[in-house]
Amino acid sequence: MRRSRAADRSSVIWRWVGIVVLGLAPAIALAQWLGYPTPGIPRKPGGAPDMQAPAPRTRDGHPDFSGIWFANVPSKDYCKEKDCVQEERMAREQINLGIKMPGGLPYTEWSKQQMVSRRAHGGRDDPHTYCKPPNYPRAWTLPQHTKIIQTPDEMVLLHEFNAAYREVYLDGRPLPVDPNPTWNGYSTGHWEGDTLVIETNGIRDDMWLDIQGSPITESARVTERLKRVNLGLMKVEIAVNDPKAYTRPWSVTIEMALQVDTQMLEEICMDNEQDVKLYRPE
Amino acid sequence: MMAKTLSFRLLVAGVALAAASAAGAHHSQSEFDFKSTVEVEGFVTNLDWRSPHSRLYVEALDAQGKTVNWDFELPSPMTLMRRGWKRDSLKPGEKVKIKAATARHFPNIGYAIVIRDGSGKPLFTGVTQIYEPEPQAKTP
Repeated sequence: MRRSRAADRSSVIWRWVGIVVLGLAPAIALAQWLGYPTPGIPRKPGGAPDMQAPAPRTRDGHPDFSGIWFANVPSKDYCKEKDCVQEERMAREQINLGIKMPGGLPYTEWSKQQMVSRRAHGGRDDPHTYCKPPNYPRAWTLPQHTKIIQTPDEMVLLHEFNAAYREVYLDGRPLPVDPNPTWNGYSTGHWEGDTLVIETNGIRDDMWLDIQGSPITESARVTERLKRVNLGLMKVEIAVNDPKAYTRPWSVTIEMALQVDTQMLEEICMDNEQDVKLYRPE
Repeated sequence: MMAKTLSFRLLVAGVALAAASAAGAHHSQSEFDFKSTVEVEGFVTNLDWRSPHSRLYVEALDAQGKTVNWDFELPSPMTLMRRGWKRDSLKPGEKVKIKAATARHFPNIGYAIVIRDGSGKPLFTGVTQIYEPEPQAKTP
């Protein structure tokens, strides 16, 4: 009788242990996916991804942009000592979107005035410091990953910052007329050969394009041209026509590198934002 | 050699980071003065593993021998995990050596530049990497 009770207790304990272990399984598996091989991509004999392989295509013959992307920035290796930790690589355009444009972005006087105070205050006025959404086109250059999911009628972009999303309709619908402004605006795409041309309107009036505070306003029309050069490289040409903020239309090109054998990791900014209070008070 | 190289890097950083950001940051790092660094040796009290920046709290003695609690900013868990960190990579009680840029307006707060764990091994911090100052492209 005693044995039976002990066996019962043991059985109950093991059942709970099982439940706890199963409950933890997703967390354990999550960490493992950081090295989990991305399926379905061409690889070299040793198993390394063949980043120079031709760009994949969908069943209807268009380039397939699906995958996880991060701004591709080969940077100088400052490590001189054997135990130096190699740097992280990020787009210089994150700081100044027009860094590679001769003369810089063509700011209007209004924009210049905006940027005087924005620069003087450091990051204190930046919407991102306050954990606002990762608005495109700025989001291409942020230090989080973008995951593209492409279907014949729609492209969905998932962004790690605040676990955000953006939709680009490929079903032929027109851009909205007099849309309610939003962080990502309203986007439609069409194909010009192997280039996906994304048109966007309906952007909010108070957004930044980079850390130094280059503005983009409600008057903007943004055109992004996506070209997948090969498996590993995508070029995103960002063309902005915003007469309030810029004296003429301009464009820059960002290079995005495919991220393989990894996964999307959420970064919920409001979880523990503490930098706002560190800037100089008013 | 290490200190020398870092000093050079920080000199460069003073120019480059005036309006720049540290890797993994989503905003300007101008609340920290990368020309003003501090070296702290102490014991971990907590690794606060949350976004947008992980924070490492360290108990150390100041020049007067008084115990102070330092708050060091780090990249987000997302960025750190991709560079080999785990949420328990530094445990409470572990001895650490840290070099950090100091906060401009608050004491005992810094952005970690170099962290060495109890065994002396350096950990990725996201800010040891300094951009080569890149000038604005000139009009031809």
